[in-house]
Amino acid sequence: MNYQGYGAPPAAGGYPGGFPGQQQDPLYGYFTAIAGQDGQISAEELQACLTQANFSGGYRPFNLETCRLMISMLDRDMSYSMGFNEFKELWAVLNGWKQHFMSIDRDMSGTVDPQEMNQAISSMGYRLSPQAMNSIIKRYSSQGKITFDDYVACCVKLRSLTDVFRKRDQAQQGMATFQYDDFIHCTMSI
Amino acid sequence: MAYHNQYRPPHYNSAPPDQGFLWNIFQRVDKDRSGAISDTELQQALSNGTWTPFNPVTVRSIISMFDRENKGGVNFNEFAGVWKYITDWQNIFRTYDRDNSGFIDKNELKQALTGFGYRLSDQFYNTLIEKFDRQKRGQVAFDDFIQCCIVLQRLTDVFRRYDTDQDGWIQVSYEQYLSMVFNVV
Repeated sequence: MNYQGYGAPPAAGGYPGGFPGQQQDPLYGYFTAIAGQDGQISAEELQACLTQANFSGGYRPFNLETCRLMISMLDRDMSYSMGFNEFKELWAVLNGWKQHFMSIDRDMSGTVDPQEMNQAISSMGYRLSPQAMNSIIKRYSSQGKITFDDYVACCVKLRSLTDVFRKRDQAQQGMATFQYDDFIHCTMSI
Repeated sequence: MAYHNQYRPPHYNSAPPDQGFLWNIFQRVDKDRSGAISDTELQQALSNGTWTPFNPVTVRSIISMFDRENKGGVNFNEFAGVWKYITDWQNIFRTYDRDNSGFIDKNELKQALTGFGYRLSDQFYNTLIEKFDRQKRGQVAFDDFIQCCIVLQRLTDVFRRYDTDQDGWIQVSYEQYLSMVFNVV
């Protein structure tokens, strides 16, 4: 069973206090300006950080719920916040998704149509039935269009849910078993 | 299996409201006199105890629950159901908001959900509040409380549909899992 859609591999973070070159990393500048003493950022701070680093470029800044989903996607210690290493990892993944979106949004309108969204998701490696795909797309279209923010929210959710599923698919057969309490816990935690 | 029985809010035996009374309310809420209450109109009529608009996602969920004709609004007959639904939630909220703060904090949320039959870890309540508390106060307002309960109910419903032998376990494929939960959480 081949799980796809992950973009860049996680950033190296083995050195205590960061990694070589961290001080010169422009991302570190944006991050610490917002994170302050504890070196962690919340969803609101992430939203500010990405806006200041002009991540979205021509596209509108991410809404708060999308930022919350991003934090949750990488939040391994259940702190509901993100440290610099995770921020770097997120940045790399987001860039991958952004390049992908831009390659499809040829008229630079900031939106794609359902067909293009379908293409984008399949080309990330997700194999979903037409019905599953339709219901996902329907959730994110407004007036028949999907914005960059919605597209990212969708990618984050797909990745988070795939992570949840993988942990319960020990045999890597594409089948997972869930007990009810566990199902509620892990599915609601994204 | 505990989840079969009590995940719906307890039924409050409030006497059905007087039709005339309900009609008055309906007319006031149906501002454009279209004969149906839209999402916007319902949102404007509801209060979450703060000065911010009622959670639009919750409004959409409620309207779609009672809109039998898929028209994007509720007529007077359907509105009776909406009114009762919201009144029941108000009663539940007041019951569990023990300190009358107008918000449900982590402990009060624990009491409420445990009362409904859920068995959730202590850490998970932190996650629920983080996920649903739109006011960012570490406590849930009325609309966010409803939203949280609706999502829990929907996940439970979808789980039950797959748990055909009712033993509290399901086995699903990757694609089934995504289809089941993607639009609920």
